[in-house]
Amino acid sequence: MNTGNDQISWIVSWCRAIGLTPSNTPPWLYALLALLCTFCFVVVPSGAFISYLDRKLSADLQARVGPNRAGPGGLFQPFADILKLLQKDTQKQWGWRENFWLSVHTMALYSTLAVLPLGSVALLVDTEMSAFLPFWSALVLGLGTMLLGLSQESVPGWFGGIRVAAQTLAGSFPALVALLCVGIRAGGFRWSVLANSQGFSPWSWAVFANPFLLVAFFIFVMSGLVLLAIAPLDGGLSMSDIHGGVSSHLFGRRLSLFRFGRFYGFFLWSVITVVLFLGAWRLPNGFTHGLLRLEAYSVLAVFELVWLLLKTFTLMLLIVWISRVNTRSRVDQITDFSWKVLSPFSLLALVGASIWAGWRAF
Amino acid sequence: MKRNSNDFFKTDLTTWEIGPYHGSLPAPMRLKLSLDGEIIASCQIETGFLHRGLEKACELHSWKSVIAYADHLDPEAAVFGELVLCLGVEEIGEIVVPARAQCIRVILAELTRISSHLAYIVRIARAVGSETIIHYVLRDRERILDLFELLTGARFSLNFLRFGGVCADVTDGFIERVLEVCEMIRIRMKEYNDLFTFNHGFLKRSAFVGTLPTSLIRACGMTGPNARASGVNFDVRKETPYMGYDELEFQIPLGQGEGGNIGDVHDRFLLRLREISQSMEILKQVADRVPAGDFISSKVEKDYVVPPGEAYARIESSRGLLGCHVVSDGKEKPSRVQFRPPSLAHLMAVPELVEGIRIEDLPVVLASLDLGVAEADR
Repeated sequence: MNTGNDQISWIVSWCRAIGLTPSNTPPWLYALLALLCTFCFVVVPSGAFISYLDRKLSADLQARVGPNRAGPGGLFQPFADILKLLQKDTQKQWGWRENFWLSVHTMALYSTLAVLPLGSVALLVDTEMSAFLPFWSALVLGLGTMLLGLSQESVPGWFGGIRVAAQTLAGSFPALVALLCVGIRAGGFRWSVLANSQGFSPWSWAVFANPFLLVAFFIFVMSGLVLLAIAPLDGGLSMSDIHGGVSSHLFGRRLSLFRFGRFYGFFLWSVITVVLFLGAWRLPNGFTHGLLRLEAYSVLAVFELVWLLLKTFTLMLLIVWISRVNTRSRVDQITDFSWKVLSPFSLLALVGASIWAGWRAF
Repeated sequence: MKRNSNDFFKTDLTTWEIGPYHGSLPAPMRLKLSLDGEIIASCQIETGFLHRGLEKACELHSWKSVIAYADHLDPEAAVFGELVLCLGVEEIGEIVVPARAQCIRVILAELTRISSHLAYIVRIARAVGSETIIHYVLRDRERILDLFELLTGARFSLNFLRFGGVCADVTDGFIERVLEVCEMIRIRMKEYNDLFTFNHGFLKRSAFVGTLPTSLIRACGMTGPNARASGVNFDVRKETPYMGYDELEFQIPLGQGEGGNIGDVHDRFLLRLREISQSMEILKQVADRVPAGDFISSKVEKDYVVPPGEAYARIESSRGLLGCHVVSDGKEKPSRVQFRPPSLAHLMAVPELVEGIRIEDLPVVLASLDLGVAEADR
């Protein structure tokens, strides 16, 4: 596996503890283990943590108590939910089409685990195209969701699928253009390049580098909400007229798979936003260099991960907060907003950011 | 605004049946929709899923028990059903209601109006997917239900009115608490406005959507807040005052089209908020002037039988004109009790109103009409 990153050693050193050494282990096994570790120890706990915080904070905003039965302060509620959903089974027979598209949709989503930028040490794949890979997944995700809806042979599924596809197309253009704005400043689309162009202090973050990048940041966040149909712009998935569209025919395990997939999309987008605009995983330079001199890669990885996730969770909770106090927009309003407002402004930001970068180069 | 893209593209219309139970419907009913893309080309409505044989049941029970049935006419605004029946019977029996009982009735009626309008805000909020306001409004509505419990012992289905007055006198401190709740809701109205009324997202969902033309209102005989939001100035409390409403000072708000058109969803919503304010004005006035005296007419004995005759009473319920035709042949059971629920007219307007709107707006438009299917199906 060409990792483009010779610090993949974190998984190698972990594997040594269970008797796997580079001499007796093929690279693909390392990659697989690294993906599994990322999923089980970062993505799943983040999901549980965010869903708990989301419920508690929303409950606080909405003058109610929120989960308080499972565990102290309702802390185990996410696990109780998952256990309950896993026990349920679907009431109707599933055709091969529905299973096929649900798996396509899920595979597209989790393929991005390989490019999930979780820290300078924990990078698995760091190529020139890294930053574009999540877009590919998001588009396949949109397509998979649409075909999942269409294969359900019901009106909610049909409309839900079409609406999700419309949103995905509308959101991807401004998101891509906003990504270009950051790439122009950083000089590349490797995660490491994008991260290293920023620093620990907020004033060295890309979002505050120039006014055009500030615009690009807002466009990137909002178009991500459109692209992945995340609340408050989740009209494609959650309108009450179609009972939640595509997910209306999903029960039990399939529903938990689908729901967790939607959460992962949200998480992925927030991580990418933090890496592109909000200083990535960068710690104070002296601190990082000190740890590197001591060759304490695992400690560095943990610190970087914690700092990155802290910013990610803050961003996610801000979005949750906004979605809680706002109404749900109609899909045609969302796509209109994306094509008529986000897209022109993203182009403007691109032109501005290019001129700015050119000006600075001279 | 009908679009004819199916003529242009030579495509077929999709048919979609929703109901009788569906998340976007405010109550059990079946809608048969023909869709041109996402635009509703035509709609047929089927109701009756909540038919309980209420009017027939009234004929099978003694006069006194009929009040409990009238109470179930509209579970959300129970007092109005009782009130209109009592007014009808009192007209036949020429019973004079003591002034104190009248005041208690007005307090109950206006509290019910506020509570019903708050429930309306909840339904609209649910339709546009705004969770927070739902919890805020329900929290405040609980305070009104507390008042009902304090006075009558029940939070819903009060069964408190009697021919010639009310079942019991007000308890100590009740009037003060009514005023407290009024003050609380007055403060909370600002919160509702900030969160909802002037929220850009809500305006986008409600302005220019589901505009109810005056012609349709007249054709279907629509009354109440829905009609007033479209500028039809009709309120039974002003037209034919009952229970001393002529001595109270209050205004009848009309739709002004602040968000979009006159008579759109936003106007209907805003009008309910204004009606809540007017109801609070009425409550304050009544609270100041509750006289001492009996709470029920001494003419009405325990086994009171209504003398032969018939009467038609009408009041302004929270949804519109609620009429009741009572016929007595002097026996211990009513000969006929017939209600004229306002929601029936609102339901009749649905097929024409939803033509040309997007299906995503269907839940919002239906919620904005405040359909009381229980009273329409009775």
